[in-house]
Amino acid sequence: MTPAHFAFSSAFMLGLAGLAFHRTHFLSALLCLEGLMLSLFIALSLWALQFDTMNSAALPMILLAFSACEAGAGLALLVATTRTHSNSRLQSLSLLQC
Amino acid sequence: MAPFVYSTLIISLGLGTTTTFASTHWYLAWMGIEINTLAIIPLMTQNHNPRAIEATTKYFFAQATASATLLFAAVSNAFLTGEWDILQINHPLTSTLTTLALAMKIGLAPLHSWMPEVMQGLNLLTGLILSTWQKLAPFCLIYQIQPDNPNVFITLGLLSVIVGGWGGFNQVQLRKILAYSSIAHLGWMILILPFSPPLTLLALFTYLMMTFSLFSSFMLVRTTHINSLSTSWAKIPTLTACVPLILLSLGGLPPLTGFLPKWLILQELTKQDLAPIATLAALSSLFSLYFYLRLSYTMTLTMPPNNPAGTLPWRLNPQHNTLPLALTATTTIFLLPITPTILALFTS
Repeated sequence: MTPAHFAFSSAFMLGLAGLAFHRTHFLSALLCLEGLMLSLFIALSLWALQFDTMNSAALPMILLAFSACEAGAGLALLVATTRTHSNSRLQSLSLLQC
Repeated sequence: MAPFVYSTLIISLGLGTTTTFASTHWYLAWMGIEINTLAIIPLMTQNHNPRAIEATTKYFFAQATASATLLFAAVSNAFLTGEWDILQINHPLTSTLTTLALAMKIGLAPLHSWMPEVMQGLNLLTGLILSTWQKLAPFCLIYQIQPDNPNVFITLGLLSVIVGGWGGFNQVQLRKILAYSSIAHLGWMILILPFSPPLTLLALFTYLMMTFSLFSSFMLVRTTHINSLSTSWAKIPTLTACVPLILLSLGGLPPLTGFLPKWLILQELTKQDLAPIATLAALSSLFSLYFYLRLSYTMTLTMPPNNPAGTLPWRLNPQHNTLPLALTATTTIFLLPITPTILALFTS
């Protein structure tokens, strides 16, 4: 495992742990999701930089576009949750329990 | 919802799945899955009530995490082996990570906990799209992973069958029951994948038909709870006669269609010297059969404790088209006698 691979892998794993173990705020989960996407962006940029040709140089940009769309959708859901549940704490999302 | 917006979202759903189906590069496959996720989120929030928003939030987090993990596995595979081709996942770490990410996408145990709550919060039509159309794109990718070690698939499959049966035991909400039945059926499909991929496709096809017919039946009588199911016998009596057969087909009883995939899967597992696993899977599907039987019992074999003369509803014409229900119900009930033809279709 090259140092670059280790770097973005550990960044991804930290973000994933943050997303899996967040407890209180919706926004911190969205931030961890953005952290995941950022680590993937760096990974793809490092991949594209390894070659002389510009073959895969568009991949990080497309990832950025999709990540922005997802972040927008997440923030819209944050607003919707605040409208229906009066706060955005994750403990209040308990209406659908078995 | 405005027609232009609605049609854009439906077309985007189709676009996402088609993109994943048409791709040989992991990146394009990931893009198709992302388009699917983004397109269904506004569909889930059409009715702006707290349960729908909560279901959408949980769905969004589960799917976003799974997509990011899928892309991470693809990028790791590129760094480790230099390959972006979908058929060339050879490194054990990335193959396992890809399988787990796709398992979270479709809701296999032990990554299934978002599924019942998400299904509970949606209306029946969106739940139908969720459990049929949204499974196609990840399944296309799972189908193309050629594992050299079947342990991950066997574990996921067996755990899903057990969890799908056991979890639905105490449920009275129909959408949660359908979610757990979905988990169990997906477990059967994943169980046989390393040994015979055509049987996975057969199981997927029959599951889609059976789930579509059950969802359509529930939509027609407008019921989401066992209580309202028990009083819906008077609305459409023909449906009351068909739904037990659909439910027993889901449970996998001969001579109905649902027996076909289970029988062939058990036969294939036995041929691969995995008879204990086959026994465990068959016994665990008895759990699912129990709550299907409970649904058919309350719908057809009991009278609710109220005055029937005073509570019979008006029998109006069904509001939406009943042709898809007719076609899928026929497929669900009568397909077992043409098993050799179906086998030839899938294994040729």
